[in-house]
Amino acid sequence: MRRRRPLARAARALGLAAIALWSLLPIAMMALSSFKADRDIFAVPQRLAFTPTLANYVGLAARWGDFFRGLLNSAIVTAGATLLAVAVSTLAGYAYSRYRGRALTFSAFFLIFIRLLPPIVITLPLFPVVNQLRLNDTHLVLILLYATFFVSLGTIVMRTFIDQIPRELDEAASVDGAGVLQIVGRVILPLCGPGMIAVAVFVIVYAWNEFLFAFIFTTTRAKTAPLVVSEMIGAVEGVEWGVLFAASTLQLLPILIFVVLAQKHLMAGLTAGAVKD
Amino acid sequence: MTATATAPRPLAPWVLVAPVQLMVGLIIFIPALYVLWLSFQSSSFGQQAVFVGLANYAQVLGDAYFWHALRNTIVVVLVVVHAELLAGLGLALFVAAGVPWRPVVLAIILAPYAVSEVSAVVMWRFLFDPDVGLATRVLQALHLPILEWSVVPADGLALVCLLSVWLNLPFTFVILYAGRLAIPTQLYEAAEIDGARPWQQFRRVTLPLLTPAMLIAMLFRYIFAFRLFSEVWLLTQGGPARSTEVLAVYLYLEAFRYNAFGVAAATGWLLVLVSLVLALWYLRRLYRDMARHA
Repeated sequence: MRRRRPLARAARALGLAAIALWSLLPIAMMALSSFKADRDIFAVPQRLAFTPTLANYVGLAARWGDFFRGLLNSAIVTAGATLLAVAVSTLAGYAYSRYRGRALTFSAFFLIFIRLLPPIVITLPLFPVVNQLRLNDTHLVLILLYATFFVSLGTIVMRTFIDQIPRELDEAASVDGAGVLQIVGRVILPLCGPGMIAVAVFVIVYAWNEFLFAFIFTTTRAKTAPLVVSEMIGAVEGVEWGVLFAASTLQLLPILIFVVLAQKHLMAGLTAGAVKD
Repeated sequence: MTATATAPRPLAPWVLVAPVQLMVGLIIFIPALYVLWLSFQSSSFGQQAVFVGLANYAQVLGDAYFWHALRNTIVVVLVVVHAELLAGLGLALFVAAGVPWRPVVLAIILAPYAVSEVSAVVMWRFLFDPDVGLATRVLQALHLPILEWSVVPADGLALVCLLSVWLNLPFTFVILYAGRLAIPTQLYEAAEIDGARPWQQFRRVTLPLLTPAMLIAMLFRYIFAFRLFSEVWLLTQGGPARSTEVLAVYLYLEAFRYNAFGVAAATGWLLVLVSLVLALWYLRRLYRDMARHA
């Protein structure tokens, strides 16, 4: 099997190079260009050697104060949606792991069925309702929407993880007189950290990057970072590429670091949410 | 059977699932039903709704732009999902066969998962900029046609496809990679002893055992690719002259630009129906499985 070693090694190196080029080149081009002066951004051909400048970031701060407010809004919305989604998914995941019953099974099926409804469809009726409740352009509406669109996946993932916690632990606590909420709080919670992190990773990446709902439901005060970046793409006075690269890079950097660090949990969550159901 | 089955308070599970069910019911399910009702009404902002039967559906199905958007959506979905499946399969087998610094390789493959649609559009627009884009220069150097994505509709959709594959390949990869790792090593050892060549091992061991994971990845991607909105909206806004619209963009324009809520609602339910038809096989199998364990 290992007879053609040099050839196989060369093919493998080529494969790795292709993967790196495909995945990283677009990101690297953007990040590098954010440190380039305009004349270097538009240089033909592109050069790797250039004098780095922070001018684009300075320009971003000077002309697009909105963007930094957007980052703050994104952080608030992401934190809120994540806390909410993880909390309610854990409770429901516990119920679906430990209890059986026809109606309960049907309600679990309902949760999965819900994932098939496209988000854009429900914006039609929600738009007037949200306006009527004066919830448009608030953090709350995005928090609720983002959490809701991930609680069904979150519940499935949590059930898969809680299934692996022995029932004997619940039963021992139950014998000691603990109620259901106490069992969840004292027995399950300390043991299902990996599941909660897996759910959190999904929600964090989604809420930090989401465009459609932010586009439809926010206008000024609660605008998230991706929405501000999209406004920069469509700015009437023509695209300022350097500043746009700076904003895109700042929007991407924290979440990219997070995804790399949370790699294992992300992969575990993706598999628990898709394959086992 | 277990102690929990005879728990003293049968209400407990319902209290625990109530928050999730309420959120999903109030924010997704009831609005979706309301859209169904809306699709039989003639309504716009601040106007009294009037029952019009199937008129909205007739109008949608009689609109050339709808059929154009449907055709675009189907083409993009077919290209994107199958390209992802092939590339994801290749990647999964490649990494599973053993690579140096595996965690680093995995991190590189997963990196696009962290990128927002907005940032991805920024990156790929710049790469394929007709004047200074790196990809454009490479295509020119190879004497290949460049992508005139802002002018030529087919080129615009091609860039949308490329962008979508790039953003979603990590998902398909993870599903297939996990599926490949779940295949017992002994099967390959046995095949090796029987003298199976690599191609035969792939045909007789890998492919059949990986089929369930491939179907799941494909199903999820079909459903999610059908919702495609942001990439198209941010890249071409459906233009030039409404030529690159996909269904979700068509729906958005009908609702929020032309204020035709009834037509948009009808489009929405057509979108839902397509999703349901796509998922029918999965839902039936899942329901049987779950009913058996109940």
